[in-house]
Amino acid sequence: MASRNGVDRRDDDEVCPVCKSSRYLNPNMRFLINPECYHKMCESCVDRIFSSGPSSCPVAGCRKTLRKNRFRAQTFEDIGVEREVDIRRRVMHILNRREDEFDSKRNYDDFLEQREEIIANLVSRIDVAKTEAQLQAYASENMDSIRANQALEEEEASTFQARVTKEQEEARQRRQAERDRLDAERREMQAGREDFLSRLASGSSADAGKIAREGHKVLLKKSSARRSEEDRIRQKQAALRGSETKRTGTTLSSVEKSGDSGLIKGLRKIKTPEPEKPYDPFMGYVPEKRDYYTLKQSYPSGYLDRIRNDPQAQAGGYDLREYYSRTLLEAFAGLGVFVEEEVTRRDVSQAAATEGAAVAVEE
Amino acid sequence: MKFFIDDLPVLFPYPRIYPEQYAYMCDLKKTLDAGGHCVLEMPSGTGKTVSLLSLIVAYQQHYPEHRKLIYCSRTMSEIEKALAELQALMKHRAKELGHEEEFRALGLTSRKNLCLHPSVRREKSGTVVDARCRSLTAGFVKEKKERGEDVDLCVYHDNLDLLEPHNLVPPGVFTLDGLMRYGEDHKQCPYFSARRMMPWCNVIIYSYHYLLDPKIAERVSRELSKDCIVVFDEAHNIDNVCIESLSIDLSEDSLRKATRGASNLERKIEEMKSTDAEKLQNEYSKLVEGLQQAEQAREEEQFISNPVLPDDLLKEAVPGNIRRAEHFVSFLKRFIEYLKTRMKVTHTISETPPSFLTHLKDLTYIERKPLRFCAERLTSLVRTLELVNIEDYQPLQEVATFATLVATYDKGFVLILEPFESEAATVPNPILHFTCLDAAIAIKPVFDRFSSVIITSGTLSPLEMYPKMLGFTTVLQESYSMTLARRSFLPMIVTRGSDQAQVSSSFGIRNDPGVVRNYGSLVTEFSRITPDGVVVFFPSYLYMESIISMWQGMGILDQIWNYKLILVETPDAQESSLALETYRTACCNGRGALLMCVARGKVSEGIDFDHHYGRAVLCIGVPFQYTESRILKARLEFLRENYRIRENDFLSFDAMRHAAQCLGRVLRGKDDYGVMVLADRRFERKRNQLPKWINQAMLDSETNLSTDMAVSTAKNFLRTMAQPFKAKDQEGISTWGLADIERHEAKRKAEEARVMQQEFANGNKMDGVVTSAVEVVEDEYDDGIDEDMMMLDA
Repeated sequence: MASRNGVDRRDDDEVCPVCKSSRYLNPNMRFLINPECYHKMCESCVDRIFSSGPSSCPVAGCRKTLRKNRFRAQTFEDIGVEREVDIRRRVMHILNRREDEFDSKRNYDDFLEQREEIIANLVSRIDVAKTEAQLQAYASENMDSIRANQALEEEEASTFQARVTKEQEEARQRRQAERDRLDAERREMQAGREDFLSRLASGSSADAGKIAREGHKVLLKKSSARRSEEDRIRQKQAALRGSETKRTGTTLSSVEKSGDSGLIKGLRKIKTPEPEKPYDPFMGYVPEKRDYYTLKQSYPSGYLDRIRNDPQAQAGGYDLREYYSRTLLEAFAGLGVFVEEEVTRRDVSQAAATEGAAVAVEE
Repeated sequence: MKFFIDDLPVLFPYPRIYPEQYAYMCDLKKTLDAGGHCVLEMPSGTGKTVSLLSLIVAYQQHYPEHRKLIYCSRTMSEIEKALAELQALMKHRAKELGHEEEFRALGLTSRKNLCLHPSVRREKSGTVVDARCRSLTAGFVKEKKERGEDVDLCVYHDNLDLLEPHNLVPPGVFTLDGLMRYGEDHKQCPYFSARRMMPWCNVIIYSYHYLLDPKIAERVSRELSKDCIVVFDEAHNIDNVCIESLSIDLSEDSLRKATRGASNLERKIEEMKSTDAEKLQNEYSKLVEGLQQAEQAREEEQFISNPVLPDDLLKEAVPGNIRRAEHFVSFLKRFIEYLKTRMKVTHTISETPPSFLTHLKDLTYIERKPLRFCAERLTSLVRTLELVNIEDYQPLQEVATFATLVATYDKGFVLILEPFESEAATVPNPILHFTCLDAAIAIKPVFDRFSSVIITSGTLSPLEMYPKMLGFTTVLQESYSMTLARRSFLPMIVTRGSDQAQVSSSFGIRNDPGVVRNYGSLVTEFSRITPDGVVVFFPSYLYMESIISMWQGMGILDQIWNYKLILVETPDAQESSLALETYRTACCNGRGALLMCVARGKVSEGIDFDHHYGRAVLCIGVPFQYTESRILKARLEFLRENYRIRENDFLSFDAMRHAAQCLGRVLRGKDDYGVMVLADRRFERKRNQLPKWINQAMLDSETNLSTDMAVSTAKNFLRTMAQPFKAKDQEGISTWGLADIERHEAKRKAEEARVMQQEFANGNKMDGVVTSAVEVVEDEYDDGIDEDMMMLDA
């Protein structure tokens, strides 16, 4: 922050509340604060009082024990805001749910408001103990999700940073290219004019007009050629850039979310994805399925029994079961088709029909 | 005069018409028929407004759609002038047609100009008038009154409620003055009458801002239908208006005031909690349900407007972390504190909105989403708290507007922090500029919403720049030349002084004593030979001051004093208007005067030097912008990267349009005459960027003159002009009667028929199909237009 802010500018008559030295006497004076009590004092006071270990705050009425390593420069002018931001930082680290973890926007908004409420309570010192306890409980319960969300946030920040630096670099290059191009153009103009003048000087006076016309034409042609060339290059670059962004524009994979907690309501239920089914080449059609009957081993029949025991018939590989299955299939083929039903779309239960058929077979 | 364009009968309020006016009307009608946008450049002082109005009114009355006209102009005086023209036109129409048409036309301007309330109207500042007016007219104040509390109300506003809501003023054309008088007579508020009558008007005339500034447009121009005809007159500066309407500057002082405003809000919330907690709870539950859009607040009561353009308006509920009033105030405070820390920097920073937002988030945990809703949330809060002294919250509102804009737009904006006012300053006075770079952002909703947008002005060259910058396509762009019976203005380019040394205001040599002396002698010579008024334009105040002090040292001012009174424009508006008044008096007295002003100042834009008020205009130096400004640099880069307009092209375009504006000041009609001098060697190359009508009148022999040659040419010209000249000489050439129009029409038709016949013959020869021949003819015709345009472009 300090590097970004540069040197702080303060009024000349600012006075350290502890040692009463003013900026007028000590122009390099810096003020520090401790997030324990947010009392402001100058750097030399901090050195003087806290170098030999923790000590109590020198400001009258404040008995907080402070340590030197916690002292830091103040970011905001308003101490209240400074303190609020510190608290906020802590709370935000713990309650760092993201919008996509919630069922609906409404729930997310409720969460935001709840968080705001917690911060406000901490800032204005209402129910501090209870809120703290809640926070602690939540933090220990949801360690994983907190960490995952933090990682996500960091990743987002770093990709953003990378993108910004890349864009800046590109802009710089474009600027450079533009400048180069202008220079080249000017040089070319100059050269063209010199060439044209020298030709004028060396040529005869009769065709001076012709030379002048030609010179002008050449210049025009050159510049138009250059322009079309540039257009072409630029279009190419634009196309390239477009395809690049497409490639890099992959979305971040969502991180696994942790379990429910008592503090936050309306979190999205975590769904474990169903395991993938084995591949089915027939798209649900089962070839050996019988809807209306079950194939028995044998059916009593005087005519067929003979064949069953006839080695002559079986030698050729004749199997009665083949015969059964074929006959039954033929007998029941088309039983599932109800023309009337299909025409009128009446809702007759198909199961009844099937049952009837099965009974018929049993008989 | 009555004539026909195609099948449209046009009533023109004058007995004669200029040929360019006729051409202008024909092109306008073409555009309206085609239903698209157009860019038209018409010489100044050739009756642009009256031709525009008479054509569009004829169009409205003739065709059954009755498309509404929205006429936008720049200044209040121009609005008044247009209204007066319209009034005369309608009177003429009534006389010609023999009956009054059902027609309403109103002008709208700020409350400050239209207020009738005895004490409010006496306020000086516009914002104070607005605030006081609101405190007398807002809905909750009225409710209070009805509850029996003792509050003041504006009688003029209350009387409106007694009238029929769609018949507050009778049909007819009201000038602003006329409306004031009517309001005075009937004890009704002119401002609110005009505002509420807007949906029932045939013609509305108001300032650009009512359409372009999203803060106002959303409220004033919301219910205008899509087929309105929108006209931007004097539109040569429209890109700057667009940019300004979306730019915000924040200073340390305004941030301090904003903090105070936030604390006030906090206190008010506490008060309300103890007295009327229910109201806050109501607002809260409304926000929870996301009903803020459906809220039935009368539009004119809106205190603080949303700066985001209609397309981007969020139809979402306000995020949870700023739903509660106290949370929102602490949110605002944090944001303001953050801005304050940014202000402490001692070097210039320029950054994009996304990087600003990331840094903001790192430091204060303010996210983008709630920031976007800032302005809207503040509006709702202010309404709930029923605050009356709105002007105290102005800085806070600015911050909220800034927050909303910065969180809404990623591209086309830049944040520039300048810690020092100038390079040399040591005492920091930081200003955070949030600048819009893309003029197309603000005007895009206008082009999207209305089918016909007409952009017109006296100086729009080069025409193709405007569609490029504003991001729209035209069906027609045209520049008209001026038809003159005699050469009534003399444009010249002076490149050298009498000693043959080149003169220029380029940075390297502008303070050379030789250049300054040459400029001095040029001004002296012209003040010697010109009768009546002379106007001199300089590129900047800074340069004007330095050159005047050098002239004082050289005794040049003393010489000028022998011939003319010298008056100088200053940045202060009142001083300048006094100078202008004195100048006019001096011109009327016959001695004449010399007015020194700046090419980008107030005088160059709105003030006419017609007839003896200006017989010569001298443009000393090319009026380039200050190129070291960071904002300009950012804009140039943006234009280059997004619209592929090169830096130099844009700078030179911008300089030349201002130069042309300056030149146009002296010529305000066909019977007017004047000398136009461009004194810089760089003008010779830029001649083609001048408007067609100036460029055409400039002879090749007068583009590279030295002072003495220019003076003798001008002397000659003024001598010719002094000869008697009868209006009759102009007839048929620069003014047309009905017969001339008919003759022109017949000629055009004959020409068309000839072309058609030729094509017909060709077509027959080629394939013998009759129908295709017609198409061929049309194609041919289009080509002709294209060629014309290419000629213009070249």
